[in-house]
Amino acid sequence: MTAPRTAARAAPKPDAMKAAASAALRPAAAESGANLRNPMQRALERMGIDAADFADITGALGVTAKETIYAQGTLKLHHYQPLADSVYRVPVLIVTSLVNQPYILDLAPGQSMVEFLLRQGFDVFMIEWGRPRREHKDLVLEDYVLDRIPACIERVQQVSGEKDVSIIGYCVGGLLSAIYAALHPGGPLKNLVCMAAPVNGDGLESLKAWMGRDFDEEALLAQYGNVPGDWVQNALRALRPFGKLAGAMSLLNNMDKEDAVRSNLRMGKWETDNLPFPGGVFRQMVNGFLRRNQLVKGTWVIGGKRVKLGDIKVPFLHLLAADDHITPYASSKDLVQLVGSRDKQELIVKGGHVGLVAGRGAELRMWPALDEWLAQRST
Amino acid sequence: MSEIDWSKMSMTTMWRDWIVKSEQQWSENMSRLLKDEKTGPVLSKQIDEARMMHKMFGEMAQMSLSAANLPSRTDFEALDERMGRIEDGMSAVQAGLAQLRVALVSARAVGPAIGGAGTAGAKGAAPARTRKPAGKASAAQSTAKTRA
Repeated sequence: MTAPRTAARAAPKPDAMKAAASAALRPAAAESGANLRNPMQRALERMGIDAADFADITGALGVTAKETIYAQGTLKLHHYQPLADSVYRVPVLIVTSLVNQPYILDLAPGQSMVEFLLRQGFDVFMIEWGRPRREHKDLVLEDYVLDRIPACIERVQQVSGEKDVSIIGYCVGGLLSAIYAALHPGGPLKNLVCMAAPVNGDGLESLKAWMGRDFDEEALLAQYGNVPGDWVQNALRALRPFGKLAGAMSLLNNMDKEDAVRSNLRMGKWETDNLPFPGGVFRQMVNGFLRRNQLVKGTWVIGGKRVKLGDIKVPFLHLLAADDHITPYASSKDLVQLVGSRDKQELIVKGGHVGLVAGRGAELRMWPALDEWLAQRST
Repeated sequence: MSEIDWSKMSMTTMWRDWIVKSEQQWSENMSRLLKDEKTGPVLSKQIDEARMMHKMFGEMAQMSLSAANLPSRTDFEALDERMGRIEDGMSAVQAGLAQLRVALVSARAVGPAIGGAGTAGAKGAAPARTRKPAGKASAAQSTAKTRA
């Protein structure tokens, strides 16, 4: 029997939504904006949503109940309130990306991977790396995989009382998790799940072409310290140049579907909310990962140790999206082959990079697959 | 496949639909062009030029704004950094309080309800760490390609 699906969507409440949206109306917009409303706002009004700003109707994001149990610099380690009457023995630590806000994994009630895992009976912790400031420009991969992730795991062990910990890493978080696992073969890691984790720099063809020998990363870092969030966003957008246009057209064609509008706007909000890339890590990624492709060659040295993915021996799952333009298959396919685990698997699900973890496709395909794999290995 | 609602069909809807369906192909073609060995270095140089222009414009704007006694982007960034430090400090206090509460609960109780001291769970009755998987394969497997 399949575990009960629980991420039920809350029934739409147009009246409540309208009231909330009206309350959020800015006075200036309410007074003077009547004949300045754009077609999108008029369409929202026809739906009964009187909002001055799209942000008004997305609601708060990342709202599953949690508590910050550890903080170091910009890092916060969150522990989510369990939602099941019993939990699996092994706690789960989610390692998020350095350049994206973590709330994509906890977008909104009914549209949250975290909420799904909690309802399935996992004890969930999450690392939020936070927004690096100029003073963090010298942070390097060593700080993350040899200091911060181990410190968070130690705290998870204290709180849960369990020696074993499973890690789920998404995107760059998956890369960090894999490096951590490779450098700590005798550590407390019980299971490793990577989601769209790039390991082969040659597979990131566009980024590799743009950040070749002519790209002066030192000048960029000297000017900004870290790579600004809007630069990160522009680079990601350039990987799919017409994606934004198609998204807007799709939204206009679905204006009569309240759920689709809300979901689209939430995703849109997240997509424009990138974090700066810490300068030191960016330098290592450009030189070691992209230009020299040292990770798959087994020549990448982090903290004086060579990163050998073959040293990962714990049960391993790699979840990939079939139409991922950010982490294309060419950049991620080697991971399952390189890890040394006997129990290893790769699952390719329909959808794109974001659709892998959030949205209807994730709810139908990826979350249940993750639950099924992890549950058997979490007792 | 979902049924087409002809009552909502219009030329603009169909045009938009065509854009959505063609977008992947357009993006792929454009990406192929952008990552070309000749285009790549050109883009790298343009990135560098954009960075320098950003710097020059920033400096010019800062001078003008300073003359008009208005805050510049640099001032806002400095404020943002300051607020970031305050936020980090508050998170550290929050984490410290969570640890303190757990320590107090542990000191009062004979033992924690679940394997460890707990935090988020310490607010209510902490769930037991005894859950077992439901067992059977889900429908998800049939929709996903698997390679071991």
